[in-house]
Amino acid sequence: MADVLALVRRRARRWALNGAATVALAYILLPLIFVVWLAFFRQEIPSFPPEGYSLRWFAAILDQRKFVNGFSISFQVAALAMTVGLLFGVPAALCLARYNFKLRGPLANLLLMPIIVPGVVLGTAMYVFHVEVENGLDMDVIGTFYALVAGHVVIVIPWVVRLVTASLSGVDRATEEAAQNLGANPWVTFWRITLPAIRPGIVAGALFGFVTSFGNLEMSLFLVGPGRTTLPIVILQYLEWKIDPTIAAVSVVQILLIGIAMLITDHYVKLARVV
Amino acid sequence: MADVALTHGPVADKRRGEGLTAATLITPATLFVAFCLLAPLVVLFRYSLNEFIPAKKMMVEAVTVANYIRFFTDPYYTSILATTVRVAVMVTAICLVLGFPLAYVVARTQSRFKHLLIISIILPLFVGNAVRAAGWMTIFGSKGAVNATLMGLGLIDKPLEIMFTEKAVIIGIIAVNLPFMVLTLQSVIEGIDRAVEEAAFSLGAPPGTMFRRVLWPLALPGILAGTILTFILAMNAYATPFLLGGPLFKMMAPLVYNQFTQQANWPFGGAIAFILMTVTLLLTVAANLIFQRRAAR
Repeated sequence: MADVLALVRRRARRWALNGAATVALAYILLPLIFVVWLAFFRQEIPSFPPEGYSLRWFAAILDQRKFVNGFSISFQVAALAMTVGLLFGVPAALCLARYNFKLRGPLANLLLMPIIVPGVVLGTAMYVFHVEVENGLDMDVIGTFYALVAGHVVIVIPWVVRLVTASLSGVDRATEEAAQNLGANPWVTFWRITLPAIRPGIVAGALFGFVTSFGNLEMSLFLVGPGRTTLPIVILQYLEWKIDPTIAAVSVVQILLIGIAMLITDHYVKLARVV
Repeated sequence: MADVALTHGPVADKRRGEGLTAATLITPATLFVAFCLLAPLVVLFRYSLNEFIPAKKMMVEAVTVANYIRFFTDPYYTSILATTVRVAVMVTAICLVLGFPLAYVVARTQSRFKHLLIISIILPLFVGNAVRAAGWMTIFGSKGAVNATLMGLGLIDKPLEIMFTEKAVIIGIIAVNLPFMVLTLQSVIEGIDRAVEEAAFSLGAPPGTMFRRVLWPLALPGILAGTILTFILAMNAYATPFLLGGPLFKMMAPLVYNQFTQQANWPFGGAIAFILMTVTLLLTVAANLIFQRRAAR
């Protein structure tokens, strides 16, 4: 009898734990679920219950050039910022994980700092800096594409450094030393031993960097020039006026693309292991 | 004595070579971040010490702390800071309570679908705050899901006003920050050997005691990291208070943006930016100290 009671109690606890976890997961997903739902409404006003369902809002996206342009700008900026961020971040991560030197701590903090500085502060600081540089050097900086990309590289670097450093700590240094003892030069060692071992970290860093850049809102608000608005800013400005199924349809497209990118990445690197 | 040998000859050369390699690897990234992040922050700080002439909407070079004094002496601005801290503390506390069970289940599950579970936690992070705010707008609006349901059930006569309140903002920011908390906790709980939990159980500890005496202390570094991350993100929130809080609800980040773009008051905007960062940092350090003292006891 006592055994049965204990079993029931254990079951109940298990249910309570799973229930609490489900509530939290539902909370996280709830806003996304409603955005997706709204995208299929027939009427334009987001009132419940919906009067019917329609797919016409997805066609309406293409009529609005600002969404298409915003998507294209965001994609270009994110792709470029990710590439440059990897070129800067992977070597830096190698250095931080492999060498011990006096400035190691401060430098690591500097490279991770962009995650901690508020987006609005990043944006304002970069904006006033661009003003100073533009006045000082007499060249176009404010609102240019490259100034925007440079800002995004700054926020990509910490993700690359963090995730690549983490994956490097799991690599046994003895393998590299063995390769070098067998006559491989540092380059060959890097290409044949180190790089394959840290590939998951690099893929994850690239993914997180790309998506951080693609979704960045606060910093970009200060860096975009006329006619060069990124998608998150277009969405924010639209939502300031109204919420309707069109903006929900835009969001659904974005959710789908990011979801697919994550599933593809997960196929190569288990996201569960890198985050 | 053996160490002496290490500092001479080919080994020393190798060390010098290593130092050179290390420098080559990290210098580009360091210079880039220094130029694109540190230099701008220095310029912004310098601007925050300048004077602003409202009549001409002009900045005049000066060295004064008047902007900082203005912020702390005007109740309008200090109340915005207080609101921001209050919202951030509440969000962080609720995130910890909501996030722990989910993090625990994700960390301990043996399911084949664990990666899908993780993806569904990460995905919202990547979708952008504005889109998630749009979701809450459809839920909270006067004709939104909550009000339509409650009115349909006859529980209320006229729609509840949820949009444009502090409640809406807190609910919105929790959803934004919860994934960060869950992922941080999950990675730490995964590192705790399950055998320790089972040992506590087999020694007769009820689950509550096991949690308090085993899981909590072992997970403390992760709890601290997750709490700090969530707190910083909540202090800096921009899109959620902007869209869900409406024009009258003010937090620090939208205030900085407003000073820069609407008022064109760069010195004051710069000062607010540094006040926001300093307060966040001080509160984080204080929390760290309190936590560590507790842990040491």
